[in-house]
Amino acid sequence: MDNKPLQTVPRPAWLHQRLRWALIALIAIAVSLCAVGLQPAIFNWNGLGQLWRFLAASGQPDLSAEFLAVVLRAALTTLAYAVCSTCLSLLIGAVGGLLASEVWWLAVLPHQNLHRSISSTIRMILAIPRAIHELIWGLFFVNILGLDPLVAILAIAIPYGAIVAKVFSELLDETPRQPLFALLNSGVPAANAFIYSLIPQAFLNFVSYAFYRFECSIRSAAVLGIIGAGGLGYEILLSLQSLRYHQLWTLFLALFVLNGAVDWGSAWLRHRLGSPTRLDLNLRRPTRSRKQSKPGDPLVLGAGIGLLALIPFSFWYVAADWTKLWSPRTATLLAEVGQAIWPPRLETLPQLGPLLLQTLAMSILAIAIAGMGGVLLAFPAARNFWSPNGLLAGHTTSGLGRIWAWTRLLLTRAFLLMARAIPAPIWALVALFVLFPGILPGAVALGIHNLGILGRLMAEVVEDLDPRPVVALKAQGVTAPLLFLYGVLPLTLTRFLAYILYRWEVCTRETVIVGLVGAGGLGRLLTEQLSSFDYQNLLVTLAGFVVLTFVVDWISGTARRALR
Amino acid sequence: MVYCAKKLLIIATLLLPIVACAPNRSAAPTGETTGEAQQPLVTGAIPDQDPEKLQRLYGKLSEYLEQELGVPVEYKPVTDYAAAVTAFKVGDLGLVWFGGLTGVQARLQVPGAEAIAQRDIDANFHSVFIANKKAGIQPLTDINGLQSLKGRTITFGSESSTSGRLMPQYFLQQAGVKLEDFKGQPGFSQSHDATIKLVEAGTYEVGALNEQVWKSRVAAGEVDLNQVDVIWRTPAYYDYHWVINPAVTEHYGADFVEKVQAALLKLDPNVPEQKEILELFGASKFIATENGNYQQIEAIGRQIGKIK
Amino acid sequence: METTNKSKRLGDKSAKLNESVNLNVNLNVNEILFELKQVNQQFGRLQALADLDLQIRAGERVALVGSSGAGKSTLIRLLNGTLRPTGGEVWALGRCLSRLSPRQLRQAQQHIGTIYQQFHLVDSLAVIHNVNAGHLSHWSFAKALFSLIYPLEIETAATALRRVGIPEKLYERTDRLSGGQQQRVALARVLVQNPLVILADEPVSSLDPERSREIMALLRDLVTETGKTLVVSLHSIDLALHYCNRVIGLREGRMQFDAPADAVTKAMIEALYRL
Repeated sequence: MDNKPLQTVPRPAWLHQRLRWALIALIAIAVSLCAVGLQPAIFNWNGLGQLWRFLAASGQPDLSAEFLAVVLRAALTTLAYAVCSTCLSLLIGAVGGLLASEVWWLAVLPHQNLHRSISSTIRMILAIPRAIHELIWGLFFVNILGLDPLVAILAIAIPYGAIVAKVFSELLDETPRQPLFALLNSGVPAANAFIYSLIPQAFLNFVSYAFYRFECSIRSAAVLGIIGAGGLGYEILLSLQSLRYHQLWTLFLALFVLNGAVDWGSAWLRHRLGSPTRLDLNLRRPTRSRKQSKPGDPLVLGAGIGLLALIPFSFWYVAADWTKLWSPRTATLLAEVGQAIWPPRLETLPQLGPLLLQTLAMSILAIAIAGMGGVLLAFPAARNFWSPNGLLAGHTTSGLGRIWAWTRLLLTRAFLLMARAIPAPIWALVALFVLFPGILPGAVALGIHNLGILGRLMAEVVEDLDPRPVVALKAQGVTAPLLFLYGVLPLTLTRFLAYILYRWEVCTRETVIVGLVGAGGLGRLLTEQLSSFDYQNLLVTLAGFVVLTFVVDWISGTARRALR
Repeated sequence: MVYCAKKLLIIATLLLPIVACAPNRSAAPTGETTGEAQQPLVTGAIPDQDPEKLQRLYGKLSEYLEQELGVPVEYKPVTDYAAAVTAFKVGDLGLVWFGGLTGVQARLQVPGAEAIAQRDIDANFHSVFIANKKAGIQPLTDINGLQSLKGRTITFGSESSTSGRLMPQYFLQQAGVKLEDFKGQPGFSQSHDATIKLVEAGTYEVGALNEQVWKSRVAAGEVDLNQVDVIWRTPAYYDYHWVINPAVTEHYGADFVEKVQAALLKLDPNVPEQKEILELFGASKFIATENGNYQQIEAIGRQIGKIK
Repeated sequence: METTNKSKRLGDKSAKLNESVNLNVNLNVNEILFELKQVNQQFGRLQALADLDLQIRAGERVALVGSSGAGKSTLIRLLNGTLRPTGGEVWALGRCLSRLSPRQLRQAQQHIGTIYQQFHLVDSLAVIHNVNAGHLSHWSFAKALFSLIYPLEIETAATALRRVGIPEKLYERTDRLSGGQQQRVALARVLVQNPLVILADEPVSSLDPERSREIMALLRDLVTETGKTLVVSLHSIDLALHYCNRVIGLREGRMQFDAPADAVTKAMIEALYRL
């Protein structure tokens, strides 16, 4: 053998890109923690009794027939509204997503070098409706449409439509383009080429995402209180105001059932259709569909028909007055709103900076809590991990061991369901019982709520994990912790991070609804201005939210590109 | 696109019949079937105290008003102060039970709107400041005592609550205490009950709320008086009242405002049915009121910035 | 020089393992490494392997051939202990695998390296970490964690990559490599693991013919240089005859023939693949 000295490749910089982002994240969290203030007392032990009273009430929900009837009706209302607003947001999102995608403009305007600038402009515009919380959209629509079911539908559909458009456009842009250009080059018009290439290719991902959006709509309808139409959100707000814990828990149970059923149903259907993840972000190739359903799968067909039937039922049930959209009164009222908000007043501009930072700090802490908790709980909540025959399960499992494994799985999932089904304002009140007011209880409340969502999404990532590299390591005699470190974590972390960054944006917007913690940042200012009908200053605050969304969007986009 | 096209088609086919039939059944969700021809009088309320009672309350009140006025009455649930005021402004709510401040805000946006009735207690309403016992704050002897609250943490109720925010903040201002004088930012617990519980827990040292709610919670034994107690009761002011939209006269005749007022004032505690309605409102009687009674509230609202 | 280095390391390691694991590890040629006794493997209703009796001795290069579904992969999984037979016993390194505790099984598996058709590498990690994964059976958690941030034992990894012909890919991300290069990374990982036996489950099926020959030659050289044993399942009978010295034909879960490479006749092969 040769005796040349070994030539080794130079070691790359110690602080490589991923590590740099990790450091940035740690610093951001540390700075946000400083913003919490280094007060000596964080925990208010005195409030444990209150916390206990809240939790203890879960044992005796109000199950009187009278109240159950109210809850049932409210649950149906919420479901119907969620169906309607999801449909509308998908419609908006499908059109918007196409227009916001680079590849569409590349196909339509092949010779001008404009596709990038057009699509990024449209994406920028789409950030504006996303930046504004559903609650504020709701108030806006009351202003121009009055009390009509339409208000609640549009309040959810507009911001969600913008989110769907963003995600759809990214999906389209990340789908392999060769089939599309093969068609375009043979003279097929752009629209037809899309129908026969990109859209079928990305279709399953669209459907998966649509289901995810539906789950979000239900949660959103539960916060919105559906202005003028009742629903679970309305009942929750009522019972919360007079702190009827027993009633609250009944309503939460209804939310568990609704959320759980939709989660489970959509997971089942997605699995049947062969698209295992709902939000396949950050993959450079679309998911390979593993188990295509046979065309005539009667179960899928049945579920599909059921779902389709739910749509006309929901539209009938909510009975929105669509004529209001083009009635003269709406135009008049819209003009009035225009006059009321213009010109914007800049009185609050100097305050805006610190409030923006406060909001940012709260959202960073919230997403840190949600992200870490989500990662920790995703594994016990995943079917293929610690459960019997899971990736990290031993060969021999005794009967007791199996029972324990399944109990752990169910308990984790129940906790995640509870965390996401209970709206963030309730968590804020609960957090406020045991934490002193400030950024922290707000961050904890948003953190717990989003933890429930992230944990569930991450558990799906784990379930979707390619087991082969892990099994290969296992075959080599590697212990579970190291298997986790070198197999599971590298395979899942990028997608965990993609979810975390996506949810971070939601957290900034949701700071609006946890204003009771005494440190709402921009959200507090916003509620104050809304309740004072101070629309001229309100416009500036909303602009602050838009700026914040741009910033968060940019950071998370850059980070996602760097980390994949 | 196949998917989109299908979806479009489905939605389009779905929308057609709905668009067609929607106006005829605008009252359908609440199950009202009376008066197909006549537009219903839509009433609403801003939930501020015992809001979960609203359900039952408004069913009874709507029935009573329908009987008295001979027009269909419908109740629209609205949880948000701003939404209720706005709905009143655009004319979708005809008769609303507002708080002091929100009533003024609503009337200012609707020229000709009138305050017509209030409860007997509303002409002489009070807020209370409560404090956690551990904070060691002695009961105050007069308004200047509020200065001793500087450096404490405080929570109000909802942003537009008269008794839970506006008047307490006004009296603090009278005593020379600004919001910045408190420790941290003031909280907005969103309800009187939450204020009690948060002060009882010690999360906030001081809270301000509606005296009526405080008294009823104490009477029901729901407050731990070893943890929290009243330190000061504010002077009296006007609070909750019924406000009616002038647009109703177009539909139901010029004398409709008077008819509604008369119907409300006629509620008799000696009639069991009507007594129940009054009890749910926490009133022994409704009495007349007028716009002029709320001039002080309006002035304070402007001073504090809640009215622009 | 490399070879001597490697053998020395191998010697050290087996000595250490002998102590700690107390497995009867012996490098004498002709020692029985694997023994299958009446092994049956059932997946639901499918009989993947039936009544298999087999002995594999140290130093042999065994090819498993047969059409898809013949049970080749199943046999490999039985040999490396990731699958337990539904009937019969699998003995490896003098132990009956199904009677071992998880800990003992892991200790036995440290001496068995496996490479796969689809490489089974962790795509999103740099090559160095995938190669270092060969150390994991004796690295502490802290060391493993630290190495993910600041790669350790680079010399060993670089040597292994040099041996498989891609020294320049040390810090590259694994999913940026071609198929052939990824299989070399997998080989480098096995080199670092330094087992007594290498199992290879269709290691060249996803590669073009030229790459296949390169990888097979590499595999053969590696095991002969260090006196390891090789069990490889192959689609190509030519590769099997060329690179191995014993060929086992499997058909529908049963052993069709078991013969030295030079004794395999055309008739035997035709019988094996006959429809």
